[in-house]
Amino acid sequence: MIVDVVIIGAGPSGLSAAIEVAQHGLTAAVIDEYYRPGGRLLGQHYEDPNAPPDDKVWDGKKVADELARKAEDLGVHLFTNVTAWSVSGKWKVELTGASVKSVEAKAMLLATGSIEKALPLPGWTLPGTISIGAAQTFTNLHHIAVGKKVMIVGVDPLSLSVMMEMKNTGIDVVGMVLPPDTPAIGHGHSPARTLERLSDVAGLAPNPLLRTVGKFSLTRFPRLVAHALRFNFLKVNGVPLQLRKVATEIEGNGKVEGITLQSVTIDGKITGEPEHVEVDTVCLSAGLYPMVDLAQTAGCPMVDVPELGGTVPLHGPDMSTPVEGLYVAGNITGIEGAKVTIAQGQLAGISMLASFGKSGSLSVQEAKENVNKARDISPLRFMPDIEKGRLKMEEIWKEEGVYERRNHLQV
Amino acid sequence: MNAYRLDSSEKKREPIEFYFNNKKLSGYDGEPIAVSLLANGIQTIRTCEVTGEGRGVFCGIGHCYECRAEVDGVANVRTCLTPNHQGTKVISPRSFTIRETLNDDS
Repeated sequence: MIVDVVIIGAGPSGLSAAIEVAQHGLTAAVIDEYYRPGGRLLGQHYEDPNAPPDDKVWDGKKVADELARKAEDLGVHLFTNVTAWSVSGKWKVELTGASVKSVEAKAMLLATGSIEKALPLPGWTLPGTISIGAAQTFTNLHHIAVGKKVMIVGVDPLSLSVMMEMKNTGIDVVGMVLPPDTPAIGHGHSPARTLERLSDVAGLAPNPLLRTVGKFSLTRFPRLVAHALRFNFLKVNGVPLQLRKVATEIEGNGKVEGITLQSVTIDGKITGEPEHVEVDTVCLSAGLYPMVDLAQTAGCPMVDVPELGGTVPLHGPDMSTPVEGLYVAGNITGIEGAKVTIAQGQLAGISMLASFGKSGSLSVQEAKENVNKARDISPLRFMPDIEKGRLKMEEIWKEEGVYERRNHLQV
Repeated sequence: MNAYRLDSSEKKREPIEFYFNNKKLSGYDGEPIAVSLLANGIQTIRTCEVTGEGRGVFCGIGHCYECRAEVDGVANVRTCLTPNHQGTKVISPRSFTIRETLNDDS
């Protein structure tokens, strides 16, 4: 199949980009491994009290269905349950599971999203241990209880939201604890560090839990709060948030049957005796990082920007990369919420249209401003210093982008 | 219909019967196979080729490959991504004895 634009990833950014280019005369194909379009939108369901009255409930599945229907109505070829296993040339994407073997296009947009960081506790391979993202998808999309008694390891905006969602459906979440400080997991999850991170997002968060956490004067005294929490269970929705305990091991004979907890100092050093809690399911949450494999395969230079969530493809403010005809949008460029990635997808679409000599529904500048607006009204914030990360990338782009592009064309 | 199903307002879906290691189970047409299995309380989908330990769904979106199984004769299918249908036969990898005793008319 030959199209103008091939897009990998049918999440919010990929679908928005497809709609934009298809509305303005380009042909497009979107490829996604999942069996239905929407990406991470599919698991999202929450209330945003700061949103306008008719926009308070964010029903990700509904948003996904609307985007997908719009794209299909515009004639976008939507491949689901299809794996893009290779990209080469300018551009050829090899597929498995589709009626066609490959898609060729002049422009390629990578909207591959993010992956969950691993949390390799002893016992984490036992059936019954799942990632927090899986728990979200199973709860909100498939309406399946992931277990009868669930412990969540890792306290962050995503795990807090999923805890609320699981509780709302009646699943017994027995608690939330922190990951331990180990060589494999690192030092980033101590009570003090966790509370510092939560303090950055609490004020902006939509759910009552984060707001409650925010009331603990977190912004000013995270370490003091960490000390105080030693004796106080912070309970929200009836779920104890045990910010001074870590999970040291997941146990069970063939499947999850329990978890070992230990108290820690505010800096994460273990104190006291281990404590055993019976659970049948453990959800692990260690945050997300951009999924950049295909950008690397396509020859795009990578830049490590911790404020964006890790290593991301070098890209300009218009979502183009130093590689001719290669664009990026969504969480591959940094971890943010769906409202931002939808705006990024439209921006990438407009940039691609420009490369074909066509104009889109907005100017590149207007679309860029829309991304910033979406960020300002986003209820969930994953990276506290995201703006700083975006500025950093713009600076690096200014310094390297032109050089890289020229360099690449010479090859 | 299954112990782990949560109440949902989702429109009625087509109930199906499918097979996991030769055992007849119920699910809904079009949902991922891993979801149908979890609805039946099944967390262990395969055994590790190296250690023989059980493995099940981990990431739920096709990244980790922990939930793979043989589906209708095709090996290493990720059950978290693959829609279930009436009569689908799912077999744990390495369950050779189970495959040998598979009843063809099942």
